Amino acid sequence: MKVLFVCSLGMSSQIAVDALLKEAKKNGVDMEVSAVSTQEFEEEVHNGWDVAMVAPQIRHRFSYLAEFAKEANVPCALIEPMGYSPLGGPKLLKQVLGILNK
Amino acid sequence: MFEKISQFMDEKLSTPMAKIAEQRHLRAIRDGIIATLPLIIVSSMFMVIAFLPNQMPADWGLTQFIKTNQFKILLPYRMTMYIMTLYAVFGIGYSLARSYKLDGLSGGVMAEMAFLLTIIPKVGPTASDAVKALAATNPDLQAYVKSVPGGLLIAPGNLGSAGMFVGIIAAIFAVEVYRFTETKNFKISMPPQVPASVARSFEALTPTAIILVVVSAITMWIGVDVHSLMAKVVAPLVSASDTLPSVLVIIFLGMFFWTFGIHGWSIVGTLARPLWLTLLDSNTAAYATNSAIPHIAAEPFYQWFIMIGGAGTTIGLAILFLVKSKSAYGKALGKTAIIPSIFNINEPMIFGAPIVLNPILMIPFIFTPMICAVIAWVATNLGLVNRVVAIAPWTLPGPIGAYLATGGDWRGAALSVILIVLSVFMYLPFFTLYDNKLLKEENGEVPAEKLA
Repeated sequence: MKVLFVCSLGMSSQIAVDALLKEAKKNGVDMEVSAVSTQEFEEEVHNGWDVAMVAPQIRHRFSYLAEFAKEANVPCALIEPMGYSPLGGPKLLKQVLGILNK
Repeated sequence: MFEKISQFMDEKLSTPMAKIAEQRHLRAIRDGIIATLPLIIVSSMFMVIAFLPNQMPADWGLTQFIKTNQFKILLPYRMTMYIMTLYAVFGIGYSLARSYKLDGLSGGVMAEMAFLLTIIPKVGPTASDAVKALAATNPDLQAYVKSVPGGLLIAPGNLGSAGMFVGIIAAIFAVEVYRFTETKNFKISMPPQVPASVARSFEALTPTAIILVVVSAITMWIGVDVHSLMAKVVAPLVSASDTLPSVLVIIFLGMFFWTFGIHGWSIVGTLARPLWLTLLDSNTAAYATNSAIPHIAAEPFYQWFIMIGGAGTTIGLAILFLVKSKSAYGKALGKTAIIPSIFNINEPMIFGAPIVLNPILMIPFIFTPMICAVIAWVATNLGLVNRVVAIAPWTLPGPIGAYLATGGDWRGAALSVILIVLSVFMYLPFFTLYDNKLLKEENGEVPAEKLA
């Protein structure tokens, strides 16, 4: 399962990446997660990702980013605010699995 | 009740305002300028190095070395940050063209061309016979006459922030012409037998020709001095942005957005960054020539004396969560959020505490940076701390970044530390209230409400 996170500069989403990986490992879910900046997202989303997660603070850019994800046929969702912290692992995992299992 | 108000504000204020910042042209300007920030940061640091002798003992070998080679050390700065608009224009043209699904490279090149056509090269003077005769009699004059450069000369001034607004307009004009010729099919089309790449290069001729002729006619043949005109229009905006009231408004807006979970600084910065860069560039140029530094409120001022630990001066809150938290959640958050906070990344605090839509923490989040702004402004105005002259990488811990951004002024670092301590005290009562609330919920004394 490959998850791509995107936030403004690729820095704060790294924290969410670590939280998700930790939670996934705890629950025995095999996951590959990466974080990129909005500038890199357009190209990176085409590289075989299963789902794209957009950081909540750039929700005003969501429709712009979702278009690129659509072109790459990758489901794209806005991360729930409470999931976007080092302690948000469980929420993130739930959200990601929810999208992938639809 | 609070939920109703915040939902109203979110629908009617923060979301529409955020959408405005996503407007195609504003976004292209922002992306183009952000692309030049790495240049500006690195060349800023060179500047700080070049002027370190001001802080170091005069008899050190290193000090002497830097002093004698100062001009050479500054040269990279002269060809990067000093002419920042030259770089930004390409980025703006590229971004805008891409947003229209046009070829970014063509957009960038055409934008650059439009901008450079507003720069009028001068011809270096040639000495007349009379001057030559006079020089023959005086060796000093002779040496001087020989050193005057001839041929075409370009003054770098308008290639820097002074030309930023002209550059933005030139880039937009170029890409819009490009888009017009593309959509209206106003281009030279070749018969299908001609290879595609050749046909494409002919297609690019039309917009290029239009842009070249129009801009040259205005700036070179009719002789309109677009840069002076723009400077007059923009000057009030620039000086208005360097006042305490406007600083406070900018901070308020930025923090307001964040309380709704939107990246406030990115939105405010979209509109303000060209102004900030203009302010900073004047400061940097003055610093490089050892003149008095004119402005206070360039972006580094906000970064190092206001957004310490991230937006909302949350470093104080992060420290409190780490050392004074009684609730289990607070303790866990404190441990994980402190390291990012030291490097000014505070999304863990903003979404983790959370500060978003949290009536208790929103208050200090908005007013703490405003109070810090007033203190820092007064301190800078009184000359207690140097004005900012460089952009330091903003993920540096506060005092270090403050030291670098003020051109190596230790008092900048000291002010940063004072403000950190202040932030702790300003967040304290609200933190205590909130932590107690978390504790009560954890102990089941109060039914847990939605925290966000």
